[in-house]
Amino acid sequence: MIKRTIYCSLLLLFLMFASILLISRVQAANLEINTPAITSIKQSMQSRHAQLVEHYDSGAVGLTMDGMITMRDANAVPLAKRQSVNSLVSAENQDRNALYREIARANNHPEWESQIRSTFGQRWINMARPGWWYQTNHNSWAQK
Amino acid sequence: MCNRLIIIIFAALVLTLYVLMLSASAADFRFALVLDDIKNPVFEAQQIQVQLTHGSSGAGRLDINIAEIKVQHDVWKNVNVSCRTFHLEQKNINCTSGYLNIPGLLSYPVSLHLDSDSSLLKIKVYPTKSEDWQFTLQWSHTSWQGVVAINNGQLSQIVAWWPSYEQMPKLSSGKINGVARLQGDWSGLKIASIDMSVDALTFADQSGLHAGEDISFALKSNIARSMQPNQWDWQSDLYWQDGEVFWQPVYMTGDGHHLSLQGVWDDTNVRLLDSSLILAGIGTFNFSGLMSRTGNQISAFKLVADKVESSTLFSQILKPFLRDTSFAEMEVTGHFDLSLRLQEGELQSISLDWDDGSIIDSRDRFAFHRIHAHIPWRAGSTTIADISMLKGHVLNIPLGAVRVPLEINNFNLFLPQLVLPVLDGVLKLEDFSAAYTENGWQWKFNGELLPVSMETLTTALQIQQMHGTLSGYIPEVSYDGNNVSVNGVLQINVFDGSVVVHKLMLIEPMGLTPHLKADIAMRDLDLELLTRTFSFGKMEGRVDVDLRNLELANWRPIHFDARLFSSPGDYPRRISQAAIRNISALGGEGAVVAIQRSFLRFFEEFRYSEIGWRCALRLNICFMGGIEPELQSSYMLVKGGGIPAITVMGYNQEVGWQELVNRLQRITQENEPIIQ
Repeated sequence: MIKRTIYCSLLLLFLMFASILLISRVQAANLEINTPAITSIKQSMQSRHAQLVEHYDSGAVGLTMDGMITMRDANAVPLAKRQSVNSLVSAENQDRNALYREIARANNHPEWESQIRSTFGQRWINMARPGWWYQTNHNSWAQK
Repeated sequence: MCNRLIIIIFAALVLTLYVLMLSASAADFRFALVLDDIKNPVFEAQQIQVQLTHGSSGAGRLDINIAEIKVQHDVWKNVNVSCRTFHLEQKNINCTSGYLNIPGLLSYPVSLHLDSDSSLLKIKVYPTKSEDWQFTLQWSHTSWQGVVAINNGQLSQIVAWWPSYEQMPKLSSGKINGVARLQGDWSGLKIASIDMSVDALTFADQSGLHAGEDISFALKSNIARSMQPNQWDWQSDLYWQDGEVFWQPVYMTGDGHHLSLQGVWDDTNVRLLDSSLILAGIGTFNFSGLMSRTGNQISAFKLVADKVESSTLFSQILKPFLRDTSFAEMEVTGHFDLSLRLQEGELQSISLDWDDGSIIDSRDRFAFHRIHAHIPWRAGSTTIADISMLKGHVLNIPLGAVRVPLEINNFNLFLPQLVLPVLDGVLKLEDFSAAYTENGWQWKFNGELLPVSMETLTTALQIQQMHGTLSGYIPEVSYDGNNVSVNGVLQINVFDGSVVVHKLMLIEPMGLTPHLKADIAMRDLDLELLTRTFSFGKMEGRVDVDLRNLELANWRPIHFDARLFSSPGDYPRRISQAAIRNISALGGEGAVVAIQRSFLRFFEEFRYSEIGWRCALRLNICFMGGIEPELQSSYMLVKGGGIPAITVMGYNQEVGWQELVNRLQRITQENEPIIQ
């Protein structure tokens, strides 16, 4: 019994140590790094943002925890526009995926992509304007 | 279903009364009946009370109260049917101002007429002032017929009775008009027909991803018992006339689409015969098939479509499904004929004939014009597709007319040889093969690039114009679903020297930010050709360039270790004043040209023994060096040799890559050489 407790404690310690290492690695990542590819993706996202704002405002589109966006409430969009909003969301997510991948590559650590994605997820949520919807820890939606 | 049961109960009770009253006189009387319960596999009714008060004038009042009706999982309590003006005659029953009340569900005026002479029963329900539902049943000793006529039926009222599921779209409004007719004999139904129209239909699910608004459609349907036992002949036509539907991810408007289905239905199979789907603006799809009712499996299916409009089909129906792929921004034009056949759920054959089509990427990454294609495909055998294209381009590189005889075997493609005009040269592809695997399409080929002039290539790529020719042998090139790799080395002849590309890999070529990785070794490049190309100022000699760990993102360099140095050998080594100025610009503001100004400024050209330049590109910064790695703050770019000799030193060890490119492009003369 004591042996098992020691094993469990060691395992716990190991996991804690591993997580600290992982976190410190991502903290070491330069999220502001710039390359031609990153600049191009950011420009593409910036030019799309103006079209997305009205859908963030209406609650049709929300920010997910994994650094993406999703159609949260299609009812807030006129029927004839739902397909184009879908395409906007899809194009934005393609850009975001590419952005996280490029930042990880530019940091010479492609394996950091998922951690960079979650860090950005939180960053987008923090930067969201009042009234915008975002996903919470419990996979439900909250309004800023 | 529930409605029908209520009416049946109602009619059954009235009929019971009728039978009872046949023996009754016309005098005043009061009749009361109490039933404890009625049970049936479908429904249960408890405490049924029937009261009939009848006066000598023939008029009376009927009240039926049912304490509880249970139909499957639905329970209604205190159901009441009352008839304030109830006429009971020997051969007629009339209830002209009746009322049906099911608390919490409906409360409708009803009327009833029963005529035993003509064996006719009519029940009319008036849910609202402008809405009525009429049920008529007439019978003889051999046959019967029923009619349901609906006038302005509100669908929202009907769906309140339907079972509701969270994921299922909910209907919020809609009007139905029309007639359903049923005919039969005492062995059962013989013929049924429906002629209905639905207007202003609106529905949506909770997420709004499956919704429709203001939809109008008409349904005409007939079903008739066949001469064969347990077999029915049926035919249906559905016309979608107006409104819009978004069914994730497809959006369509009702512009006159028409679905026509006909066939035979028996206990084991549903057979489709000569059916069709007309999609307005797209084309007509004719189909037939056989589906087994046990297991709902498609035993056979055949589809034929002629002159289908590719553009509308692709943009409205196919493209939304491709929105997460590289084809999301593709436009397709032309017409095609299509036929396909399935047997036992397996695809047996497809034949596609595409006439005068084009495929255009809206990001301008590729375009193929005037495509004609005959593509036959048969399961388990080899077919030859004939595909031709008049012109096109890939990544701004123009392609000429080409005809492709492609061998197709199941999901494997093979092309022994293809000669593709590229600019003013030719790309010869050999042994092209492609296969569809669990990781998507994978392909490989080898080939040869016959001379393409650098002038046309650089013009097409909109980069600095170069002279010379590009040609080379292309070893095996393969695509694994994500990346294009060149297995072996790629050899190119350019600037009278040779370029060998190792470890060439193109990552996500059709992605948003394609990456190219390679190691490149250039040998014996003619400096005169090179410098003339870039208007750098005349230099004579030969150079070798090693470009290791090269990585381009979006076709722009983000990483490399470059080293340029004089090729070994004996050849004239001269450099012009203009070239000296431009080399000094590479070294930035601090560059110094070591030259004896007083004596050598009169010379247009100088001699050198060695040239060297290094650049390690990291995060947009070029870390520069010269002939030899220098630990000090200066490095030698040109080492003098002979008379008159010149030595060029560089001092700027770090320069922004874009700045360096800009300097080269401007051929700046800001850094005047220092003549020593």
